Amino acid sequence: MINHQYILQSFSCLSRPTASRLHNMGLCEGCPIKVIQRYPFHGPVIIENNHQRIGIRYQDFAALTEVDA
Amino acid sequence: MTSIALIGNPNTGKTTLFNSLTDKYAVVGNWTGVTVDKKVGTLKHSAIQVVDLPGAYSLNPLTKDEAVVAKYLLNDQPDLILNITNASQLKRNLLLTIEVLERGLPLILILNMIDDLRRSGQSYDLVLISQRLGCKVLTTNARGHQGIKELRQQIINYQEVPAPQLRLNYPPMLQQAIRQAAEALEADFNYSPAVARWLAIQFIDQNKAIREYAAVHQLTPLTSQVRYYDAQQFADQIYNTRLAFIEDLLHDAEQHAAQGDSSQLTGKIDKVVTNPILGLPIFAGIFYLMFKLSFEWVGTPLSDALDWFLSVPVSNTVDHWLLQLGAMAPLRSLIVNGLIAGVGGVLAFIPQIFTLFACISLLEDSGYMARAALVTDRLMQMIGLNGKSFIPLIIGFGCNVTGIMAARTIEQPKERLVTTLIMPFMSCSARLPIYGLVVAAFFPHHQALVVLSIYFLGIVVALLVAKLYQVLFQVKERSVFIIELPEYHLPRFDVIWHGTWDKGKGFIKKAGTIIFAGTVLIWLLSSFGPTGFVTDSTRSFAAALGRGLVPFFRPLGIVQWQAISALFTGILAKEVITSSMMVMFHTSSKAVLIAALGQFMNPVAAYSLLAFVLLYIPCFATLATIKEETGSFKWVLFAVVSGLTIAYCTSFLIFQIGSLIF
Repeated sequence: MINHQYILQSFSCLSRPTASRLHNMGLCEGCPIKVIQRYPFHGPVIIENNHQRIGIRYQDFAALTEVDA
Repeated sequence: MTSIALIGNPNTGKTTLFNSLTDKYAVVGNWTGVTVDKKVGTLKHSAIQVVDLPGAYSLNPLTKDEAVVAKYLLNDQPDLILNITNASQLKRNLLLTIEVLERGLPLILILNMIDDLRRSGQSYDLVLISQRLGCKVLTTNARGHQGIKELRQQIINYQEVPAPQLRLNYPPMLQQAIRQAAEALEADFNYSPAVARWLAIQFIDQNKAIREYAAVHQLTPLTSQVRYYDAQQFADQIYNTRLAFIEDLLHDAEQHAAQGDSSQLTGKIDKVVTNPILGLPIFAGIFYLMFKLSFEWVGTPLSDALDWFLSVPVSNTVDHWLLQLGAMAPLRSLIVNGLIAGVGGVLAFIPQIFTLFACISLLEDSGYMARAALVTDRLMQMIGLNGKSFIPLIIGFGCNVTGIMAARTIEQPKERLVTTLIMPFMSCSARLPIYGLVVAAFFPHHQALVVLSIYFLGIVVALLVAKLYQVLFQVKERSVFIIELPEYHLPRFDVIWHGTWDKGKGFIKKAGTIIFAGTVLIWLLSSFGPTGFVTDSTRSFAAALGRGLVPFFRPLGIVQWQAISALFTGILAKEVITSSMMVMFHTSSKAVLIAALGQFMNPVAAYSLLAFVLLYIPCFATLATIKEETGSFKWVLFAVVSGLTIAYCTSFLIFQIGSLIF
């Protein structure tokens, strides 16, 4: 859902480089994010956190928000 | 010599600041295929050297770009570091700041894009930030040229900037591990206390570049403890301590003013350009507009005017002078029919090429490129690449060499390799002059469309080949795709001009070097034959070489020895194809050559020639860059053979099928 708030749950299912890049961008477990845009056919998802907009892949988004989604 | 280094996250306005601070600069390594990794300039009105390092999110490198920064801090000792941050995103920017501060070199923290922050109604207590981090803090708005004067003054007085003494309160066990390792490094390996501590922290934090360095230099105090460090999950503790420190700092330093609405504009534009349905058509539309501007509305009329100027007044005047001076016939031929025709013929395309570069710079500067990567990611995923490959491929339209260099921002090595290998199929600007000639001769009423179709042919071939490589190389590793979507900026003329000049000056430089040399070579080949100097080029070496290869090219519809010889010299640089044609047809006028070409071929053969030029062997500079970036001649050979094979097959199909239809 667009404009829905999520809390990042777990980084353990992500590949190491993906997890460390998200960490570099100041995202960590427990961070709140808002979904700005989703693309069809499991395309990328745009999330917003701390005034920054980041595009990530659907699979990573799903892994990060598993409990909520 | 005094040197100042610029370090910061991507999208913090580092390059804009670099351009405002320096007056002349050189890209380290350029057309010769030397690795482009940092820009070095001189501070205006001084002898201080300013080094612009690539944008990095962290010192632990995920990309080749980031590795440059880590290695720079490891091996160089700048007198001052300017850490550029985006003032609106201090939380993540300060993560890198802490890593750099721990290195112990004098540092000024610059909160750039301060106007964006103010517009959002926020501000920070700079004194508090400065106290907690133990370094000087300045604010700038590089795009609006604000704060630059003060920064310049600080740089000139760099000796007064103290070295920082930041020591975070890491958990006791971690603290102890850092202390023990640092002490051993100081005692056994003679590192200074600051470097030893920094090395220890970075090693424990699983920094790949530092771990490699430690292995090579046999830093046993670190390497012997690696299992212990990792088992204790010290890297996570380091991250958490840093993040907690930053959150505390920002919480205490934040000063709310009025409620602002900074991201409203970005939000509104994004609603349209990143729309799930409209995103791709808008992307295609923007590119169509770019080509219309370059090849019909602006670029072509200007190119035609420049061509007339070079081929009529310049050529005639020089010829007249040479006659007056009594120059020998071969010398006159070399200057008028060789150099003016060849080099001038390529220079006439400057307006078209610069228009295209200005459009690409505009897209880069506005912030649209990241959106283009995002909307194309799903498509790219199907061929085993990701949206991030898209930006280097677009840059490849300018020049394949810079495109390959831009692929350094791709995290996954196999994706980077595939992007590098398909880069030559992206139609670079050097190929434009020959397209311009051929479309003017054969497709005068549909120039933009035909050129666009060639570009698309390149893209389609690149995508198909990428898919093939995905299967061949068995790319299975999960790819990394995380892309920051920066705030949109109103384009600024000076930034776009800098970007255009940056990309385009190589073209002008090439005109004076490799194109000049190629032109002389082809003039020699077409003016001398087995009997010595010949005025009739059909009896020259070039004609003999071209005729010898005719059987090979006949199935593609290319039977003129001039075109074949030109393709041969085009491997030096693709622009040389055009200058060779000019030289071999003994003309310095595009219009004359266009008329001459029209009698030689039919449109189907002409299109087949265009496809061949698009796809065949990459130029020397590109081959050298492939060698540099992949580290192996195997891939260079692969690029040559695959390019030639694909070009031959594609042109063969176009000519054979086209001849049946038309």
